[in-house]
Amino acid sequence: MTDFSDSLQMSVSGMRAQAMRLRLVAENISNADTPGYRRKTVTFEQAAGAEGAEGGVRSGRVKLDRSDLPRIHDPAHPLADASGHYAGSNVDLVIEVADSREAQRSYEANLKLFDQARQMSSSLRELLRR
Amino acid sequence: MFDTLNVFHTAQMMATHAGTRHAVVSRNMAHADTPGYRPADLSPFHEVAAQSAGAMRATRPGHLGGAQTRLPEPEPRADVVTDPNGNAVSLEAEMLTAVEAKRAHDRALSIYRSAMEIMRQSIGRR
Repeated sequence: MTDFSDSLQMSVSGMRAQAMRLRLVAENISNADTPGYRRKTVTFEQAAGAEGAEGGVRSGRVKLDRSDLPRIHDPAHPLADASGHYAGSNVDLVIEVADSREAQRSYEANLKLFDQARQMSSSLRELLRR
Repeated sequence: MFDTLNVFHTAQMMATHAGTRHAVVSRNMAHADTPGYRPADLSPFHEVAAQSAGAMRATRPGHLGGAQTRLPEPEPRADVVTDPNGNAVSLEAEMLTAVEAKRAHDRALSIYRSAMEIMRQSIGRR
């Protein structure tokens, strides 16, 4: 029985991490046109399990993309400096969409396994009936 | 059959093995995007069963001279392709192993149930 709760716990940790990633992708996309916005990324790391066992996944600190912000020429913009440029955001929509697809795929895989573990434990419980 | 009840023991081992294997696969799947993670797997049940077949078994801590039947530890998967970030989890392979584990579990439960049915019939209850 502990195997199944282990199994469920692992799947939940995976889903939580992927949901966090998806949330940051949504933040990035919604701020794609915010001047001076830096793209947020999150790292995944292994969580310490109970009693020295290997744990599930957990999302680490949120980091900002350090790449240069693009300088956009628009003299009419309120934030434009003397040369008529302002700093845009370094969000690339193509990358964000690809990232969200990958997160979704992993999330679904974890959900499938969660469902499978639940079915297995309920069929085990069926043995007790009758 | 009725003096040792090996069927029940084997079915129980098989179900436990399938459950543990499923937990290992779940961990691999949760780490599908963790950099540097190496997936693990249990050896298939028939290998475990072949090792313990014929040998004396200790089914209680007090039994002397019999080897305790225990499940193998998860070992790193051998035939993996590593991504540039050091992660070697393949979603397809994990899915396949998960389905294998689920089917083994179902099979073990069916065996257990049918053996139980035979026992019930033999004592005249249905």
